[in-house]
Amino acid sequence: MLDSTLSDIEARALSAIEAASDAAALERARVEFLGRKGALAQIGKDLGKLSPEERARAGKLLNSVKQLLEERFDKKQTWFEEQALRARLDAEWLDITLPAPGVRPGALHPLTQIQKELEDLFTSLGFAVVDGPEVETEWHNFDALNIPPAHPARDAQDTFWLENGCLLRTHTSPVQVRAMERFGAPLRIIAPGRVFRNEEVDASHEHTFYQLEGMMIDRDVSIGHMLYFMKTLLEAIFRREVTVRLRPGFFPFVEPGFELDIQCLLCGGSGCPVCKQSGWVELLPCGLVHPNVLRAGGIDPREWNGFAFGLGLTRLVMMRYAIDDIRLLQSGDLRFLEQF
Amino acid sequence: MKFSCNWLRELVPGLDLSPRDLTRLITMKTAECEGVEPFAPWLEAVVAARVLSAEPMEGSHNLKAVVDAGPEYGTRTVVCGAPNCRPGLLTAFVPPGVTIAAGKHIRSVVIQGVESQGMLASGAELGLNRDSAGVLELDGVEPGSPLPGCPVDHIIEVDNKSLTHRPDLWGHLGMAREVAAITSLRLADPVRGDLIPSGAPAWQVDIRDFELCPRYSALVFENVTVGPSPLWLQARLEALGLNPISNIVDVTNYVMAELAEPMHAFDADLLHGNTIIVRRAEEGEEFAALNGESYRLSPSNLVIADQRGAVALAGVIGGAGSAIRPATTRIVLESANFEPANIRRTSAALKLRTDASMRFEKAQDPVNTVRALARAVELFRIVSPGIRLAGGLVDSWRQAPPPPPIELDLEWLERRLGRPIGKEEVRRILESLSFRVEEPRPQVFQVGVPSWRATKDISIREDLLEEIGRMVGYDTVPPVAPLMPVRRPWVNEERLFHHSVRQMAAAQGFTEVSNYSFISEEMAARFGFTPDEHLRVSNPISSEQTLLRKSLLPGIHKNISDNARFYGEFRLFEIGNEIHKREGRQLPLEAPHLMAAIYTRGDGSAALFELKRLAECLLPGCEARPAEARPYEHPARAGEIAWRGKTLGRLFELHPRLVEQGRAAILDLDLADIFALGPLPRKYVPLRRFPTSEFDLSVVAGLRVHCAEIGARIRDAAGALCERVQYLYSYQGKPLPEDRQSLTYRVTLGAPDHTLSSDEVGTVRRNIIAALEAAGFGIRQ
Repeated sequence: MLDSTLSDIEARALSAIEAASDAAALERARVEFLGRKGALAQIGKDLGKLSPEERARAGKLLNSVKQLLEERFDKKQTWFEEQALRARLDAEWLDITLPAPGVRPGALHPLTQIQKELEDLFTSLGFAVVDGPEVETEWHNFDALNIPPAHPARDAQDTFWLENGCLLRTHTSPVQVRAMERFGAPLRIIAPGRVFRNEEVDASHEHTFYQLEGMMIDRDVSIGHMLYFMKTLLEAIFRREVTVRLRPGFFPFVEPGFELDIQCLLCGGSGCPVCKQSGWVELLPCGLVHPNVLRAGGIDPREWNGFAFGLGLTRLVMMRYAIDDIRLLQSGDLRFLEQF
Repeated sequence: MKFSCNWLRELVPGLDLSPRDLTRLITMKTAECEGVEPFAPWLEAVVAARVLSAEPMEGSHNLKAVVDAGPEYGTRTVVCGAPNCRPGLLTAFVPPGVTIAAGKHIRSVVIQGVESQGMLASGAELGLNRDSAGVLELDGVEPGSPLPGCPVDHIIEVDNKSLTHRPDLWGHLGMAREVAAITSLRLADPVRGDLIPSGAPAWQVDIRDFELCPRYSALVFENVTVGPSPLWLQARLEALGLNPISNIVDVTNYVMAELAEPMHAFDADLLHGNTIIVRRAEEGEEFAALNGESYRLSPSNLVIADQRGAVALAGVIGGAGSAIRPATTRIVLESANFEPANIRRTSAALKLRTDASMRFEKAQDPVNTVRALARAVELFRIVSPGIRLAGGLVDSWRQAPPPPPIELDLEWLERRLGRPIGKEEVRRILESLSFRVEEPRPQVFQVGVPSWRATKDISIREDLLEEIGRMVGYDTVPPVAPLMPVRRPWVNEERLFHHSVRQMAAAQGFTEVSNYSFISEEMAARFGFTPDEHLRVSNPISSEQTLLRKSLLPGIHKNISDNARFYGEFRLFEIGNEIHKREGRQLPLEAPHLMAAIYTRGDGSAALFELKRLAECLLPGCEARPAEARPYEHPARAGEIAWRGKTLGRLFELHPRLVEQGRAAILDLDLADIFALGPLPRKYVPLRRFPTSEFDLSVVAGLRVHCAEIGARIRDAAGALCERVQYLYSYQGKPLPEDRQSLTYRVTLGAPDHTLSSDEVGTVRRNIIAALEAAGFGIRQ
């Protein structure tokens, strides 16, 4: 009798669980069957009327039904909760392709970027990065660099003279002298910076551009040492092996003086408009520091010697990004600058 | 400087390199060649032809000429307009299908019913001289043979800058010496010293300033015939871009192009007296030059003078009054040496650069003056038959002692070169370049420098290193890393600081620009700057670059105007030097500044606070203090940025008058001052162990009160327990009167050793309210 009642309850409860369409219906069914006044509780009360043997058996049976139903209720309830969470989260859908609010990051000038890159390279090679003034004395810009007044080499550098007798530095080379005065020997420095030439501006000429000067002074520095640093520099810049050639070049502050050409990276040396069909691009004037320059910097040329070089940063930036108009670099045009 | 390959071949017999290979070798070993071009390649096809008949053509000045153009072209009929075309004339024939000078293409054409099967050409049409008055007149050749003395040539153009230190390379012989050394061939010196006459000179020379004129040599010629040069001489000068003028002048130019020694021929009958005087010009002395110009001279200029006055500007240009003319029969031929710096100063001051001044300013060899005269004697005899020397050599020379030989330690040489090199190779190279080599001690050479390299070029062992290095080829030197002690380089903290500022600005959306250091007076005036506050450029090319910027603002302002055409909103910044002039000849102060700008089309107030945030990123805890606006600033939106007790820059909106459409806010910081303050000192404060208490307070104040001022009053009144005072928001509107606003602050209190009681908090709160009320503020309950 009890057995059949219990199995009837069980069957009804299971179908109620099955039929519950939401958490509330399920809760109502739980109260109906498992609540304090629910169907099973009612049967529990009736157990006392049974004989002790019967009671023990029926109690066991009741418990097993109760346990089963609790399990089923919990399972269904968990399922409803998960459903609810899923629905809530789904409602929180976001379009992540929308643009981020706030401002876009700005861009650094390409000349800044290349300067920083070369500063890091040379710092890793034990060079100090030094600065010099943009307005220079005639002595530092010319005389100390073995270019006395009325020297024809002054022709090569159209100079902006200032009313106070100073000038706008025509190259970063005066920093060689300033660095020697400040640090003495041994010395390893680079000096990136802005230089000026009194020229008409067009797509390939600027009166304002950037150079990077380099200098190393130590004992018995050779042309081979210089070549090593120049090759290291160029491979870091172009991130590949480059073929170079060294030929004589005249700069009064070095002796011997060189022009270092790299094989044209565009045509590989077969000749193209960029290298003016020669297969080579002139990139790096350099040389062993002239004893007069060492003396001007207060260094004894019998004890010390070294090399120096000058790299056209503006030219390098133009080569790297294939920029066809030098004026863009100083234009402040964001349409150009935002590309870097 | 242009070099003729044919000329180099004459001076280096046996040279059989192609012009291209020769050019490459010169570039790699001596000087940079900018290119090599064929000269008058059409001469391959042009032949001599004899005019057999020339008949006038009706209704025109043209002639119908029949010519014998030799076996290849045969007898041809041509239409010719030249006045000198006549039967029997031997001239130049250009066959059809050939392109000649100035791109003129010759075809068979019918002119007035006559088929012209080619063309008779003038010297100018063939590019051999500037004569276009008639067709060429030749002699001494058979019809059909090439034009005499005019083989096809190649011209190598060498970059003048790479010859600055090489006076000898301003003539073909110098370059030929290089080529001979490079190719191990013999150099053929064209100079015959035995042509210099001995005996008493017919003219005197009086050098009054040996500093400026170390040597003056001259020869006097008589029985001179002036006329056009032979074609070969004209063609050679033309190939080098020198204008053929007359046989006498052309020889002087030819010798200059060969030996690098500029010369000048005077008409002796136009000189007064028979003494050449070399002296400084008088102050204001007038000089009429060959070029038709007149110059006012000063004692810094050197002149060649006769009894009456200047007849040449020494080393630069001859005078009009004593120039060679058709009637000249006697000449004084000058071959002198001048001090280079003075020539350069004179030529720069008078803006007169000539082939002569370009050479003299490179420091020519005084030994060369007499050699050039000897060469001219030989050539004059060819171009002016019957010419005679009058008297012996005129020569005044204050000879400087020869430079001492240079000691060259061969071990040192190898160490500098970075590769081993045999002693014999060093000797061979030096001797091939005419150095005299002795070995007084083992492994040490004593090197004598030839006179043409000793004027300026070579005086120390490093100069010899270059001679040897370039001849063995620098490509034979292996790159080698030096072995040196590791040293930590000096760190440029200031530069790193600038880089970090750039990074910070870019991260906040600012794009970096780079502006010129120059501004125009007009740009300065726009901001109320006067030109005199700026350092001025003495020689600007344009009015855009007359002043050096003492603020980055003009450049940034231009960036704003330029970019506003393309963008409705943008941010940009620059790090650059302000240049502030100082007294006298001192270097100016260069002050690195950051200037950042935000352009918007809104009312501009948000932009100002975005810039304030950038300032706070760079200067944590900085303040913006109200300050009087400058003329270019918005009168009610301007202030200073202060940090750690120092004013470091300005924050303002540009005066709307200066911005056409929209608004622009500017932050200007002095990076040198910021860097000088050093990094912000940081000190750890132990974390609170007891909870803090906080309360909000709404302060009623006038509309133009400063938020920071109320905050400071609250902080002062809160006393030692005050942990933080934070501004939350402001409110305007009912129930407040129209001229009042309320500003709400959150006050956080705490003590290091206990939890605050409500009494303690209440006391602080009352104190704050009392202080605010005493200062005239109200409290909103």
